[in-house]
Amino acid sequence: MVSFAPTSSETVEDQRRYTQARLVEVACLDCLAVVRVKKNSEHQTSIQWDSTSLEHCTEFARAASQPEGRPIRVGCSRLRSSIEQAVKDGAIEVGAEDGY
Amino acid sequence: MSTATDARSLDQGVPPARYARGWHCLGLAATFRDGKPHAIRAFDGKLVVWEDSKGDLNVLDAYCRHMGGDLTQGEVKGDDVACPFHDWRWGGDGKCKAIPYARRVPLRAKTQRYETAIVNDQLFIWFDPEGSEADRSILPYQLPGLAEGEYADWSWNITEIEGSNCRELIDNVSDMAHFYYVHFSFPTSFRNVFEGHLATQYMESTGRPDKAGGYSSAGTDLFLKSEATYYGPSYMINWLWVDYKGFKTEVILINTHIATSPNSFTLQYGITVKKPEGMDDATVAFIAEKYTKMFGEGFLQDVHIWKNKIAVQNPLLCEEDGPVYQLRRWYEQFYVDKADIVPEMVERFEFEVDTTKANEYWHEEVAENLRKKAAEDAAAGLPVAH
Repeated sequence: MVSFAPTSSETVEDQRRYTQARLVEVACLDCLAVVRVKKNSEHQTSIQWDSTSLEHCTEFARAASQPEGRPIRVGCSRLRSSIEQAVKDGAIEVGAEDGY
Repeated sequence: MSTATDARSLDQGVPPARYARGWHCLGLAATFRDGKPHAIRAFDGKLVVWEDSKGDLNVLDAYCRHMGGDLTQGEVKGDDVACPFHDWRWGGDGKCKAIPYARRVPLRAKTQRYETAIVNDQLFIWFDPEGSEADRSILPYQLPGLAEGEYADWSWNITEIEGSNCRELIDNVSDMAHFYYVHFSFPTSFRNVFEGHLATQYMESTGRPDKAGGYSSAGTDLFLKSEATYYGPSYMINWLWVDYKGFKTEVILINTHIATSPNSFTLQYGITVKKPEGMDDATVAFIAEKYTKMFGEGFLQDVHIWKNKIAVQNPLLCEEDGPVYQLRRWYEQFYVDKADIVPEMVERFEFEVDTTKANEYWHEEVAENLRKKAAEDAAAGLPVAH
């Protein structure tokens, strides 16, 4: 089904570049979750989860058991620390490559 | 258009051949409760909305299946809507209930009906080109305290937008920089999360001191914390916590739209204010009116851009831009068959920018400029400015 279909193959490559390129796997130091991370700068972070990592996250599981459920805005503080550690260890390159 | 080999092309792409699956808001429910049929333009056609004797709101395709008469120009008779052409009576269940001049109603006299819901005083319909059953588990969030009278009455606005696909409106969720340039506010913290059928934007900002209008009406004295969530493809609830010189207000902004064609949509936005303890209704209404004007101006700033821009499937991003590609990937889920939703469209994605550090620098710069000016004024023998 055609929806917002690009008309150029370069657009498909752009879509891949902006959503997939340079994502680095980071394992949470507290649970079994493994996410993919990119840092364009010191103060920017992208985190790509998948269904498996989401199931593993204990902090999210705890939040989900609350009566009001898990608010999607809130991230996992343990994962945040794990990412900070990965940056310190040099596992995540900080900086963008021509804007992506 | 360009012939230089290294010049970048804009891919305008092809607009979608269908409309988004999900719950769509048609407006404040009260506006349909006057015993008359109402017309709503939607999805390349028209809908008829009316209230029956039980107080239920019904939504059907606007055109009579007999000879195509426009039901929105008919009358409500009993529980049914009657066509102005030959008085065929249509019920909220989509069936023709009576044809006054006929001995019997044809068995096949059924029209397109839409499942309805009322949330936050607003009427919703379920739309799905595949004809699936309405999924009430993903209805938008009911605001706590609204039904209990803790908020002012809705101030509701409707604007027709011609010449833009409604995805332009969605793009704003990830567009951090436009708040600075279009709305004159200064984001200090910005966060997007896309997961399942929800897309959230969280932002903290202040007004720009060098601009008037938009969100900067009150300059840097205005501190704004905003959390906005799309519940499905078209209905956004935006919580705004405004701090103006220590006076804190909780404002709710509803931003919802109905696509009317691939190149137009109806924008509706509603504003309410949480009544502060001990404040009289007139003051609350005054504040609500103020914010309606401010955020209304904000929308008009966007509209002006949309009306003049073109569609772009391949936006070129710099490293300070928000995740527009991931947002569009999320939005795509509403335009494919349910069976064709791929995991990337619904998997959790987080994007965060915290410019607190950058702003420290920015504020220092402003302070330094003010110090310089004070020193110059003193040297010139001018009184100290306050």
